[in-house]
Amino acid sequence: MKRVPVLVLALVLALTSFAASSNKKEAAAVSPVVRATDVDTLRAQGEQRFRANCGRCHAAPQKFPPRAMATVLRHMRVRATITDEDMRLVLFYMTQ
Amino acid sequence: MQLRYLFTSSTSHRRRQKALLGLAGLFLLVIFAAARGLSQTTSTEKPVPILSGTAGFLSDTTAGQTLLDTQFNPVLLLPLGERWLVESRGEFEGEFQRPPGGGPFGGPVNKHLDYLQADYIANPYVTVTVGRFLTPFGIFNERLYPMWIRALQPDPLILPIATASSDGTMLRGGFPVSGRVNLNYAAYVSVTSIGNDGVESQRHVGGRAGFFFPGARLEVGASWQKVLQDDRKNAVGFHMAWQPRALPLSMHSEFVRSNQGSGYWIEGAYRLSQVHFWEKATRRTELVARGQQFFSGNISSDAADSLGLPGMNTREADFGVNYFLKDGLKLVGSYGRQLSSAGDFNQWTVGIVYRFLIPLGRGGNQ
Repeated sequence: MKRVPVLVLALVLALTSFAASSNKKEAAAVSPVVRATDVDTLRAQGEQRFRANCGRCHAAPQKFPPRAMATVLRHMRVRATITDEDMRLVLFYMTQ
Repeated sequence: MQLRYLFTSSTSHRRRQKALLGLAGLFLLVIFAAARGLSQTTSTEKPVPILSGTAGFLSDTTAGQTLLDTQFNPVLLLPLGERWLVESRGEFEGEFQRPPGGGPFGGPVNKHLDYLQADYIANPYVTVTVGRFLTPFGIFNERLYPMWIRALQPDPLILPIATASSDGTMLRGGFPVSGRVNLNYAAYVSVTSIGNDGVESQRHVGGRAGFFFPGARLEVGASWQKVLQDDRKNAVGFHMAWQPRALPLSMHSEFVRSNQGSGYWIEGAYRLSQVHFWEKATRRTELVARGQQFFSGNISSDAADSLGLPGMNTREADFGVNYFLKDGLKLVGSYGRQLSSAGDFNQWTVGIVYRFLIPLGRGGNQ
């Protein structure tokens, strides 16, 4: 009986794993070529996500070098539990 | 008490074995999920190790007694591969006061490790953390604690409740549940805990879940923690964060109820960026106000004092001004009035806070 919560968690993890793998297939089907208008759109979305997520806790910091920013965003991915998509868009915005 | 718990009950021993087996199975499943999951960091930007953190100097005058508080809190971030992050924060704090009879300032320099954890980003939904980590109870401890982030330098009265660093493992993550709502969560098991007055051993489990509405820039959530020994008490908390789109205002609030005490705080920080005179100065200025209340719990005042909690019912109002000289460097000042049956007193704080970030190794500035 006490194993039920563990089994439920295991089931949730397995489902998320399959959902993630199907997302990967969908992502792979999309062309990786990014047009200039897409860049503008991504930048605008990144800024929007930045203000919504990062602004929850602190004021906007300056932009750091891209590789340092990638570390900061991975740290925030864990610390502030921001979503994977938000992390990618904010990273794009902060490194442009 | 710990040893008695460990060795006198065969039932609890079996329970622990089952729990350990369950956790081992769970860990293997997470690894399995990771193998199938989407990579978290397919970005072309390869992360580099960085040394970040905060340094600050505060002069804190409470009830006429001045404390010079010097803090240095380095944060080391070490990314490994595409999925790993080792992170750590140390705290070095010098608290200097004049002795009662007068004389030069003197006092202890405290140092401790806030966290040293390895994070494995298994898939977009789950990150596994092992080591010592900040306990995810409420939002202040994990997100707002650093001096450069917090809007008021004095801690909220309820901060010590259920927030001592945990040693164990944790699952956490954040993901969209619809186009309008993101869910974030954390669930953890801790085998020891570092108390405010030294090393104390404790076992506890807990978790936090929050719903974030990006459109409204509103997050609401709840936390829970259960001690797995002695009186096996629960602590519950609720939190809120809100940044309205129309105003440069940032609101945060927490409520907690526990055996050690209960209380709440609510804080608003307003950036004067919409004021149209003296713009050069006003857009760098932030006004802050916080109201809070603490209600004593079922522990003695000595026990409360050792935890860093007030020994009696207490109310406090704080008002502050922050002036951002440049990115990462700000002047801070605040006034607070604390009211309790032990007497009312004022608390003045002024100081300067600096946040630094240094990329380490080759390629750090690219």
